[in-house]
Amino acid sequence: MRVGNIDRVKRQLLHEAVSDNVDTIRGLPPRRMRRLERTKGAWFRTTPLLLLPLTLLGASYIVVSESRGLAVARPVQKPTARPRNLATALPDSFEPVKAAAFPLAVKRVVLDAGHGGKDAGASSASLLSEKEITLDIERRLRLLLEHNGFEVVATRTDDRLIPLRDRARIANSSDSDIFISIHVNSLRSHTISHGVETYYLGPTKDPVLTQLAAEENGTSGYSIADLRKLLERVYADVRRDESRRLAATVQQQLYSDLRAVDPGLENWGVKRAPFIVLVATDMPAVLAEVGCLSNEREAAMLNEPHYRQQIAQALFRGIFEYSKKGT
Amino acid sequence: MASSEILHVGIDLGTSRSAISASNGERFVVDSFVGWPADMVAKKILKRTVLIGHEAVANRTMLDLHRPLERGLLKEGSDKDVEAVRELLRHLLGLVGAKKNGKVDSSNVRAVVGVPAAALRTNKQYLRNSMKGIVDSLMIVSEPFAVAYGLNALLHTMIIDIGAGTTDFCVMKGRYPTEEDQRTLTIAGDSIDTHLVKLIEEHYPQANVTLFMVREWKEKFSFVGTPTQRANVVAPVKGVPTELDITNEIKAACETILPPIVETMLDLLSRVEPEFQERVRNNIILSGGGGLIRNLPKMLEDSLRQVGGGKVTYMEDPVFVGSDGGLALALDAPDSDWERLSA
Ligand SMILES: Nc1ncnc2c1ncn2[C@@H]1O[C@H](COP(=O)(O)OP(=O)(O)OP(=O)(O)O)[C@@H](O)[C@H]1O
Ligand SMILES: [Mg+2]
Ligand SMILES: [Zn+2]
Repeated sequence: MRVGNIDRVKRQLLHEAVSDNVDTIRGLPPRRMRRLERTKGAWFRTTPLLLLPLTLLGASYIVVSESRGLAVARPVQKPTARPRNLATALPDSFEPVKAAAFPLAVKRVVLDAGHGGKDAGASSASLLSEKEITLDIERRLRLLLEHNGFEVVATRTDDRLIPLRDRARIANSSDSDIFISIHVNSLRSHTISHGVETYYLGPTKDPVLTQLAAEENGTSGYSIADLRKLLERVYADVRRDESRRLAATVQQQLYSDLRAVDPGLENWGVKRAPFIVLVATDMPAVLAEVGCLSNEREAAMLNEPHYRQQIAQALFRGIFEYSKKGT
Repeated sequence: MASSEILHVGIDLGTSRSAISASNGERFVVDSFVGWPADMVAKKILKRTVLIGHEAVANRTMLDLHRPLERGLLKEGSDKDVEAVRELLRHLLGLVGAKKNGKVDSSNVRAVVGVPAAALRTNKQYLRNSMKGIVDSLMIVSEPFAVAYGLNALLHTMIIDIGAGTTDFCVMKGRYPTEEDQRTLTIAGDSIDTHLVKLIEEHYPQANVTLFMVREWKEKFSFVGTPTQRANVVAPVKGVPTELDITNEIKAACETILPPIVETMLDLLSRVEPEFQERVRNNIILSGGGGLIRNLPKMLEDSLRQVGGGKVTYMEDPVFVGSDGGLALALDAPDSDWERLSA
């Protein structure tokens, strides 16, 4: 008997739902405008009711007959596909050129998108955070490099936290010619002025730079003893001249290209600092701070794909200039 | 059309998550995000014209990203949002196998789509036009109604669905819910997130937190009332990952939704005919992701004491209640009804 009642209520509700939709199709005003007194009426008020909310406390409240084939609930499946390896994801017209075809001093480049995973780097509440911006620029830069005959090795290709130690390991085992680490600044002392700067390895006495290096070195994966050993390399770095030259070329392109879009941009120049990724890598290595999230206007620009593409292009030109000079 | 070829589906089109249940037994849920490559380069890198759900979120820097039903409404005049809804529907239909020759084909699909109550109230016509031509036949209902139908909670029941964009209330009185039976608040999961960012930044001015980060923390630690554990999270402070205790902030942010929800609940109750009020009070069903906030049912029950007490029950598996309810509606509607609902 109860089941009969439920079915009756359901039929009535279903009928009203259909009517409501049919009215919409016909372009009639919503039902609430011409409410039916009937719905308040009669039979279900007097019927001793029921119903299933009580069975909520039990198990099977979704009443669907077996014939409907709903009995087996599949596990929730989220699409997990990620963008494939970029080299294979390129359309045919974008076939990478073989590196050997070019007489360049640089054949293989390591790109290191700063931060990742639970280490977001610099961030602001509503806009993109550093880890997202660096990965985006890295992917754009990678496309440019590959299109122009360079080979690219990436230290991270998705939103994952890779310890600095592993980044260095990836770089050092890849037999690459140069290493470019991409970061975005956020300096509380620089909410008005904003600029670009490029680092290569070296000791520094500047307390601001020490602080910056400490921030970027946050998730290193090195023990204190390892770090001490690494530190000796800061002073005896055989790559220093090459790294400095790479930093200078990259910095010059970054500044001149980006100033064209953003006249307020300052040239903070080439600097030395003991960033761990720079210490632990074996090839000429630089770390570029390609923008400032602490400046509101620039943070908004960094949020734009167009501006990030320009940064990628500037970095590409810097690398290309450097590789030409070497021949 | 032979009925064996017909695929019935129920779709819950949410502001943050959308789910589909199909008569062939398939069920899927996706994040309600749709993104188009933001520029030529992004198109080349992603090699796709549109990305949906979790994939869209993961590639958001490369995308023009839309959450089509933000705040529970389909913004009128926004072609992008309409197109996003269409893509989302096509994607969901593709997932349950509404395909022919590898292409999504929905010409044999009868769909019941549940939308936030406010969206339906504001402009049914627009909503219907926006979904035109995707499936053979279409019935649009309010989300809480689909939930109630699926649960057979049709009489003397109140559904409180705390989603991302909106909290929807619906009192079931054995009739198709009218204006006076429903309420929508824009106080829900998203507004908790916004508060949480603000509160954490007030307490730890040096910390950098994003909405995406706090949502994750909230979903892990959310509670109201007395804390049963500390909420310790790791956030960059001046760039260095640092452990922060955000227990008080979580509590304060989650509790911001309490007063408006209690007020609306009591107001709707007071409009129920006196003889049935007690039944409704004892049949309050909480659904939606926001209903997972620890201790929330108990706090709501406490607030019911002033009017004689009541019982608040949380749905065990909230993900598919809406879409399962839609599917039940789709299967129960006779052919003759479906023929009037061609889309
Ligand atoms: N454990 C949890 N504690 C608190 N909030 C949660 C929890 N899990 C999910 N949420 C929140 O629930 C919301 C999503 O809920 P749901 O999937 O029901 O929303 P929706 O149906 O897409 O939105 P709407 O109903 O507004 O259309 C998000 O804000 C999410 O952060
Ligand atoms: Mg919902
Ligand atoms: Zn950084």
